[in-house]
Amino acid sequence: MNDAPQGRLPVHIEQVMGTVVSFHVWPGKCPLLAATQAIEAACASLHRADQVFSTWDPDSPMSRFRAGRLDASQVPPEVGVVLDLCLEMRALSGGWFDPWLMPGGVDPTGLVKGWAVDRALAYLADAGAGAAMVNGGGDIALLGDPPGGGPWKIGIRHPWRPDGLACVLEVTGAVATSGSYERGPHLLDPRTGALTTAAASATVTGPSLTTADALATALAVGSDEVLARVGQLDGYDGYLVRADGSEASTAGIVFARI
Amino acid sequence: MRRAVSTAAASVAAFAAVLGLHSATTKSRLMTASQPSQSGNAATTTTAPGTGPLGPAGPTTVPNAAGPSGGTSTFVGASEQYGYGVLSVKLTMNGSHIANITLANLQVAESYSQMLAQQVIPILKNEVISAQSAQVNGISGASYTSQAYLLSVQSALDKARS
Repeated sequence: MNDAPQGRLPVHIEQVMGTVVSFHVWPGKCPLLAATQAIEAACASLHRADQVFSTWDPDSPMSRFRAGRLDASQVPPEVGVVLDLCLEMRALSGGWFDPWLMPGGVDPTGLVKGWAVDRALAYLADAGAGAAMVNGGGDIALLGDPPGGGPWKIGIRHPWRPDGLACVLEVTGAVATSGSYERGPHLLDPRTGALTTAAASATVTGPSLTTADALATALAVGSDEVLARVGQLDGYDGYLVRADGSEASTAGIVFARI
Repeated sequence: MRRAVSTAAASVAAFAAVLGLHSATTKSRLMTASQPSQSGNAATTTTAPGTGPLGPAGPTTVPNAAGPSGGTSTFVGASEQYGYGVLSVKLTMNGSHIANITLANLQVAESYSQMLAQQVIPILKNEVISAQSAQVNGISGASYTSQAYLLSVQSALDKARS
């Protein structure tokens, strides 16, 4: 009963954007060659996103834009798209996600990975793949139902036990988790400008990984206040482990029975 | 935390599922128990459990793992890169069951990674070994180390089953 591995392409791992992106693809009726080519195209799109948006590379278009060396008319079109999304997410999060308050100029990093992984998954959807999971360093975009039927069951990493899970959620669409555990404190409170560890782990589920990623970043900073906002958004839910270890979630979160 | 108990169970389930270990359910265990120990064409060497770079791991007891064949074989997984380095694992298979996992290779760039790997890997190992049936598709917020480790285990399993 090799249910899951059956019909799945070998897992493809791409090192890009300072992390590891894995592709788990069940082609279904999509020809194998087309599925493989879709993964290649998806990876190329991730590298393109990396080149455009890297804030580590001082010569990337994003870095030059931040430094005032390029103006809005000179940047690649993706920059405009992403900054528009950032504006939208700033409003949606009540200001808790605010790339314009980052030191050194506007920094869309908290949204770019989700956006890029969403875009990568779209190549597989366009190719007609039956099911797919693209996991960009723990931010996951999902297509179709997992083998054996939906919904997808996604473990949420435990904030203090690097190998353990805090819980398992039933997810359709996308899930993003933000926390300080692997990279240390790296989130800024837009209201104080200081590094914050308000939440130990912040997870948002919903149809778009772009939105989930930005809201997870906001939730990690704004904790309960952002959780209440997420609960009011259609299709989105949140799960929070506070700094003291207590947990909270919105009404729509479904904890899986394992 | 009240969920602590279910958390432990869930984490065990999750890593096995990521690996596709759910093929080793009770049902398939019965089915595969009658199969001969597989050595295949994969790299097969004499194993020395617990002698990986991270030091002695101690003897590993795996419930329900002992098949009638009694023979063990080892399979080295692919070297997997992760955010901070490269690692590969060596599986000791007892029939179709994982009896032990050691690190075949671990290269890390800096001391933080070394520390992280030393924390993560022994626990991952126990979870993979003790949970050979599960239903979780992926992990959100997973560490790079975990992902590389699980992928190397998966590739070693693929060799074992080929």
